[in-house]
Amino acid sequence: MRIGIDIGGTHTDGVLIDGDRLIAAAKTPTFSDNLLESISQVLRSILSGQDPGKVSTINLSTTLNTNAIVTGRIEKVGVLVVGGPGIAPETYRIGEHFHLIPGSLDHLGTETTPLDMDRLQAAVADCAGKGVKSFAVVGKFSPRNPSQENTIREHLGNRADFVSSGHLLSGQLNFGRRIHTAYYNSAVWRAFRAFSTALQESLLKFNIRADVNILKADGGTMPLLRALESPVVSIFSGPAASVMGILAMEPTDSDILMLDIGGTTTDIALFAAGQPLLEREGISIDGRPTLVRAIHVESIGIGGDSLIQVEQGVVLVGPQRLGPCMARGGSAPTLMDALNVLELVEFGNSRNSIMGIEELANRHGIPGRQLARDVVDTAINAISTRIDSLITQVNSKPVYTIQEILEDRPITPSKLIVIGGPAVVFRELLQTSLGMEVVIPPLHGVANAIGAALTRSTAQLVLTADTARGKVSIPRLEIFRSVPRSYTLETAINEAKSLLIGDLEQAGVRISAEEVQITQADSFNIVEDFYTTGRNIRVVAQVQPAVTVLLDKVNAGIRIDSGPERQLL
Amino acid sequence: MLKAKSSLGVIFFPAYDWAISETHPEREERLLYTQDQFREEGLFDIEGITEYRPLRATDQDILRTHFCFPSVDGICTESHRISAGGAIQAARLVLERETQHAFALVRPPGHHAMKVVQGNRGFCNINIEAVMVEWIREHYGQKRIAIVDTDCHHGDGTQDVYWHDPDVLFISLHQDGRTLYPGSGFPNENGGPRALGRTMNIPLPPNTSDEGYLHALEQVVLPILADFKPDLVINSAGQDNHYSDPITNMCFSAQGYARLNEMLKPDIAVLEGGYSIKGALPYVNLGICLAMAGCDYSAVLEPDFNPEQLREEPDTMNYIKRLCRQLPDLYFYPKPGAYEKEGRYFIRERDIYYDTDNITEKQREELKDCDDCSGIRIIKSSTHRTGSCLGIELPWNCCPACEKEGYERFKRKNDGFQIVQMLDRKNKQYVYRP
Ligand SMILES: [Zn+2]
Ligand SMILES: [Zn+2]
Repeated sequence: MRIGIDIGGTHTDGVLIDGDRLIAAAKTPTFSDNLLESISQVLRSILSGQDPGKVSTINLSTTLNTNAIVTGRIEKVGVLVVGGPGIAPETYRIGEHFHLIPGSLDHLGTETTPLDMDRLQAAVADCAGKGVKSFAVVGKFSPRNPSQENTIREHLGNRADFVSSGHLLSGQLNFGRRIHTAYYNSAVWRAFRAFSTALQESLLKFNIRADVNILKADGGTMPLLRALESPVVSIFSGPAASVMGILAMEPTDSDILMLDIGGTTTDIALFAAGQPLLEREGISIDGRPTLVRAIHVESIGIGGDSLIQVEQGVVLVGPQRLGPCMARGGSAPTLMDALNVLELVEFGNSRNSIMGIEELANRHGIPGRQLARDVVDTAINAISTRIDSLITQVNSKPVYTIQEILEDRPITPSKLIVIGGPAVVFRELLQTSLGMEVVIPPLHGVANAIGAALTRSTAQLVLTADTARGKVSIPRLEIFRSVPRSYTLETAINEAKSLLIGDLEQAGVRISAEEVQITQADSFNIVEDFYTTGRNIRVVAQVQPAVTVLLDKVNAGIRIDSGPERQLL
Repeated sequence: MLKAKSSLGVIFFPAYDWAISETHPEREERLLYTQDQFREEGLFDIEGITEYRPLRATDQDILRTHFCFPSVDGICTESHRISAGGAIQAARLVLERETQHAFALVRPPGHHAMKVVQGNRGFCNINIEAVMVEWIREHYGQKRIAIVDTDCHHGDGTQDVYWHDPDVLFISLHQDGRTLYPGSGFPNENGGPRALGRTMNIPLPPNTSDEGYLHALEQVVLPILADFKPDLVINSAGQDNHYSDPITNMCFSAQGYARLNEMLKPDIAVLEGGYSIKGALPYVNLGICLAMAGCDYSAVLEPDFNPEQLREEPDTMNYIKRLCRQLPDLYFYPKPGAYEKEGRYFIRERDIYYDTDNITEKQREELKDCDDCSGIRIIKSSTHRTGSCLGIELPWNCCPACEKEGYERFKRKNDGFQIVQMLDRKNKQYVYRP
């Protein structure tokens, strides 16, 4: 049996699944200062009458690290950066303990300026004096040659409790993102480790001896032990869990859209030929782009509780939220109240909704029903505009070969899957305005937890080889070795595949070679003075986000236990 | 995070699956290290710098610019259409005001391709800047356009396309033709009889470095641009002036290129040559992008950059200063050359050599000295491959007499030409004789 838990901003959702059958589902409030309590409540509910010993896997999606970062409750980090020429590394200054260490590499990884050891010593001494114990070490072009990063790491020695080395976090190039990623990784490490220890103790109390995995922003999982090395990859796993839920409940091989409508925001995700689209380089957090691989989810500030305002005759919906809708005791009218007025839904105390909308409409000299109609139109328009721009953006993404331009197939979704609390309410409105088939899966209220339970591991690996210089590098696995001139693209692809499989195996995850996808495989002649001297080979291998099993719909009618207070699911 | 002072669209199209030949400088990996540099620097994470994909130039886009013999497909491949389409995308971004500036970082290049195309010259088949300029005029009206060609080689193709066009100012800065391919681009080449001074050539001596280039820009190019008052400034941004370029002899640096773009402020830049793919392109392209976006580029330095070593000898600098004192007169007070004329027609007869394809084209051009319009142009072109070909060009402001004459020539039968192409800018008809 598998358990999936998604700790969201307001709710924590959990499901128990046996094979492809849903056994139990539960929903409880998230106690942001005691996440373990939320987890315990959900476990108590879904495990009632079950043998916890039969649970083999627990997959957990948590906002712990996301919240820590966006609220600034993070540890101080010594950021040691080796920049060199180009865009000033000052641009990426982050945290209170940011130090630039002179030194540089070029784009081939050749050292062009040696590391300034005196400045390094001074920076480390400064950090030590300020009680900094967690470090991020990042050099420009370090995935091409990690030696300067490694020197710094060695120099830190036991003065550091934890060090994030840039080249180990991702093989992809992007200096600024690498700095941000390493910084956040070190900033959340200690708190995440404490959480992880407490979680394991708590699971023991439930007699659960399952493999524990943490959900990542790309929709895949990683073993808890691995997550302790790179906790940052767990940011924004919530929307990814919902996307994986769609894959488990409504699999398809055509282009579709997902809409997750919540109280304050609506998340939009696009699936091309049934596959969720990933961010090109990585997700941003707190205004900082990172190299954390993530499912591309657009968030728009419109949800059931979005505040209605009228400014100079223009109706505004969201992004503010003052509280729940008036139908549920709120003090100002929201989108949900407008839907109540139009009798598109019968929700809570609709007399309050009518009162609130009429009062606001009167103040601006318009009939109440018209205001309600305008509100709904505005909200639907905003969502459909965002959907259109997402599709345009995806269809105009850069390509680099003539072949890609000639074979290009535009993405044209014709089906919309809507999940989240107010999903049902919007079915017809969206169907009419977007002209798409709208599907609301049963159990859509716990799609996120289902996605968490059924998703599998993901991983990515970047291999770069230069046979003229006789070198191959796979930064994330700390492989930098020499290769013969006969090293070919085919050898590189095979090596990348088997290393990725081996890496996952080491983490306790078994996958077959067919499941490894090669997303880049290029080989360029290196020509010096009109003679070919070798080949420059670039390979990127990945295991795509996917679910282990499709959910059997027979149990779709199962009751979601949401405790004593009945909530809108 | 960094923010661009003026928004920049970058059309980055490395054409990783196309090369002239295995070891030719114009090959797949040419922009590979530039892409590595862009990625590592996070160029597209800068707010206001956005990456776009190229469009694809259609037959009509190419036929409104060139006489293509025997056909469009006969002289260019998909890669050329996409490269030109990259330039068109750059123009579209700027003219639709989606971005303030645009840089088409595309390959293959185009500035050696002339009005008539019978094959590949100097790595170029179709002139991507010219295809872009004609696309602009077709969709946005007859604009005044300045093309400043900073490739190390003389932009002889672009010069040829706009030789008779008074609305396009073409200025080429290049290594002196006595020392480099294609061996042309001297000051006395300054425009056709009806577009005098609208072609300007600035041949710089070998080993010219940052100071010399920027001096020519400041003393010659900028004052002329200030007078011409173009609607658009286009930079043919070749990067083979770089001190590390393997096929030229100049000493320009990434800092120099960036400063040049900061001073020139082109609306659109289009990549041309540049074959030092590891030592120059990653830094030069980064410098140009940052300068066009109004970002700080002061730390964009090649690892082996040594300005003292690259600096011009005093003699070289004196030569450049002397040259730059004389050149502006050719624009402000152009002297008519000794043009051959038969009746009302200016005549030009030339042999044009296509080095890559080893073809020689015989060409005779007749331009009518018409009082009522820019004048019909007739080009007779022949090679051993395509036989006798005829191109008829009617200008955008074509008068009824010239139009009548053009269509009479076009519809004539048994006139001995195997291929005849009409390039009618007035009625937007770009067709071959059936
Ligand atoms: Zn050139
Ligand atoms: Zn005329």
